[in-house]
Amino acid sequence: MKTIITAFTFFLAQLITAQAPFEQGMGKAMQLWGENKPTEAAALLERIAAAEKNSWLPNYYIALINTTEAFNPKNRENVNALLTKAQAVLDIETAKTPDNVELIVMQALIHTAWIAYDPMTNGMRLSATVIGLYNKAIALNPKNPRAVFGKAEFEIGGAQWTGADVKALCKDVERATVLFAAEKPAMPFAPSWGADRAQEQLAKCK
Amino acid sequence: MLQKMKHMKTLTTFLFLILTTIGFAQTTLTGTVTDAKNKPLVGANVYIDGTYDGAITDANGKFSFETTVKGTKNLVITMLTYDTVTLTITLEQYTPQTIKLRESVNTLDTVVITAGTYDAGERARVSVLKPLDIVTTAGSNGNIVAALQTLPGTQTVAEDGRLFVRGGEADETQTYIDGIRVAQPYGATTQNVPTRGRFSPFLFSGMSFSTGGYSAEYGEALSSVLLLNSKEEEVKERTDISFMTVGLGLANTQVWGKNSLTFNTAYLNLEPYQKLVPQNVQWNKPFQSFSGESVFRHKFEAGMFKLYAAFDHSNFDLTQETINAPYKTRVDLTNNNFYLNSSYKGNFGDGWLITTGMGYGHGQNQIHLDSGNAFNQENAVHLKLKLRKSFSDRVKVSFGGDQFVTDFNEDFSNTSIQSKSGYATRISALYTEADIIFTKQFAAKVGARYSYNSLLAESNVTPRVSLAYKTAKNHQFSLAYGTFTQAPNANYLKYESQLDSERAAHYILNYLFNRDRQTFRVEVYDKEYSSLIKYDTPAAQFNSQFNNAGTGYARGLDIFWRDGKSVKNLEYWISYSYIDSQRDYRNFSATVTPNFIAKHSLSVVGKYWINDWKSQLSVTHSFTTGRPFNNPNETAFMNGKTKPYNNLSLSWAYLISSQKILYFSMTNLLGTQNVFGYEYANSPDANGVYNRRTIQPTADRFFFIGFFWTISDNKKESQLNNL
Repeated sequence: MKTIITAFTFFLAQLITAQAPFEQGMGKAMQLWGENKPTEAAALLERIAAAEKNSWLPNYYIALINTTEAFNPKNRENVNALLTKAQAVLDIETAKTPDNVELIVMQALIHTAWIAYDPMTNGMRLSATVIGLYNKAIALNPKNPRAVFGKAEFEIGGAQWTGADVKALCKDVERATVLFAAEKPAMPFAPSWGADRAQEQLAKCK
Repeated sequence: MLQKMKHMKTLTTFLFLILTTIGFAQTTLTGTVTDAKNKPLVGANVYIDGTYDGAITDANGKFSFETTVKGTKNLVITMLTYDTVTLTITLEQYTPQTIKLRESVNTLDTVVITAGTYDAGERARVSVLKPLDIVTTAGSNGNIVAALQTLPGTQTVAEDGRLFVRGGEADETQTYIDGIRVAQPYGATTQNVPTRGRFSPFLFSGMSFSTGGYSAEYGEALSSVLLLNSKEEEVKERTDISFMTVGLGLANTQVWGKNSLTFNTAYLNLEPYQKLVPQNVQWNKPFQSFSGESVFRHKFEAGMFKLYAAFDHSNFDLTQETINAPYKTRVDLTNNNFYLNSSYKGNFGDGWLITTGMGYGHGQNQIHLDSGNAFNQENAVHLKLKLRKSFSDRVKVSFGGDQFVTDFNEDFSNTSIQSKSGYATRISALYTEADIIFTKQFAAKVGARYSYNSLLAESNVTPRVSLAYKTAKNHQFSLAYGTFTQAPNANYLKYESQLDSERAAHYILNYLFNRDRQTFRVEVYDKEYSSLIKYDTPAAQFNSQFNNAGTGYARGLDIFWRDGKSVKNLEYWISYSYIDSQRDYRNFSATVTPNFIAKHSLSVVGKYWINDWKSQLSVTHSFTTGRPFNNPNETAFMNGKTKPYNNLSLSWAYLISSQKILYFSMTNLLGTQNVFGYEYANSPDANGVYNRRTIQPTADRFFFIGFFWTISDNKKESQLNNL
């Protein structure tokens, strides 16, 4: 019995020592990003990604940080570099798990950043693709708040050209806020962003 | 007890093991990261691959971090817009070092060779036209060629409609779809009735229009190449229906698995328009055409197969005045055209790219004239294989071969004559080219093309060189030189094959200023023609004496400015061309400026989106100075000059809903009475005067109203894309 307990304790210790740096590293990266140090955060995540080939999270967050930066007008000169990097790391993870809803939403976000960068060139080419990606994500998990909200937000953004029904889309936004509230992270550091943006959009709807 | 001891021992061992992995001998790694010019780089990520140990560089480019790993490891240095460096180090022997990063050439601000070339499309780094421009430019009416005529270097020859580039004739431009030549890119027409490009702009996602100095990959073009790339993929199934004042259109896209199929059919009939708008010619049968295009795409793991097919049947019957006969002359023309193009493009091995394909064009004209009946047909095949090896982002070498087979024959008959003419030719070509990016500021493309023409029994080697140098951020210069050959036109070859290819040499200097949504470019060029075909009769005919003694030149300045930044919702561009060109060719009696060249050309295009009206308003104004014509009443050859040409066109697109669009356009809004030239009598009248007739447009104005409707399960899919 004792042997088993010892062995088990050791096994746990092993697990913890293996897990701890990952948790610590990810925590540190999130903290850096929160402190508005995206370069530092992305650099740390890049190291984690190189060491932890089994987790899709580090590369996911590199893509998310770079894409978020690309939306910032003051980074307009670097949009190509930022989005190329985001796409490269996302491709690594998409190849492993093509049906991961969060990765599909991330892809839609990268395309949306390209459209925002140059609507006249990229709007025609990518709009249908973005909607297609959100549809795929929602089909895989109808309760993913980022997929539901992402699609609604994208369509509201294009409504002034497409004449889409904003009222109906606002209903989707409202549904997304409920989904955000009910969302429980599937694992530590699982993507959980978007609730505040959905609230903002909802406020605009009213 | 013994048991317990054993446990203790095991535990101690384990503890010891764990301690060794976390507690022992830390190494501190320090160093500096700089760019190629030794300037420190801030924010470079330096780490040991496979560990969490690393740091980013500070304001002085310095890094410092501790690690517990030992032995031989990879030190990785990454930074946005720089090439990643991996150094193999042995930690025990590590000494502080300075690491230099090279700027990545895969970024937007890398120098691009732009001499002579206008790119349109999403892939282009320096794009002068956007995909939508082809359809939203007023006056273009969905005609790719008409939209390109708003760029500098092109001549407005409105009675012809084809592309005339930098003093070159229209047939000096070759059109390619997915790298495969299109033998008959224009619809059939007759003298002084303008034609248009055969291809629907909606099937293409990008294009590159070169006005000179192009790659060794392209041959048999003295002046210009137009490269069209069909869409890579369709993601949504959709149906588009068009109701137009000139006809009906239907398009449908199907997507299944890795395949997609698009077809597009149109029936055009100009009768309602010709009835409404006063015509300068008499139409016995209106222009009518039935056409269809289809693209099938299959995506492979590492490549793409495309099959493109187009069919076009058109006919018209008109009566035109001529100065040489008291009665009007009649032309009744029926044209059938079929084009098939299959291509495969894919990656294999280590950095290899293969592009291969086959194109077949069949054109047939049945022409009834007062003087007799003519029937001609051309069969043209192009086979192509191209391989490209990427040694790195900086060095790419390509080589390949082409085979062009053309078979042309024509029968002419009337009550007294029955004649046959024609030719068959096979041109085989090999080429190779290297693309080298030396630094982010300096790039070169060097190539050569060898070709053999079986009909002329002639070989040619033509070198091509272009260089680009970036002098400062947003500013760059490009230079291009090349020699080009092209077999004589079918109109000569059908009577005589003891001829040589015509030749041209291009020298181009280009300056480009390119920044966020603004482009300014200036280009000067010199084009020297030699071996042009001459003949000794009023028109090329079976008993003409042909030779290669013709020469010519074209020198000029092209200026282009595009701005989508200064005024919100407004995109506009301005093109200006100056050209000085003279030729002694055909049956010219002196070296003069030919009648299709205007010294100054100006185009202004503007597009304004009015959000409150959900409308896009587009205006195009084209102006050219007068063109030369020959007046036999004067002793000097080609000494006359027409009045200037003006054309103001307007279009209005109104978005009824996301899937319905109403489109209105009017060409030559002001109804300017343009004159393209004069037709003089072959012999003088009783007073010794050669009478003349004005060559004018078939109608002064053209208008178009269309309603476009997209049906798809996805409401986002909008007709806006078709604007």
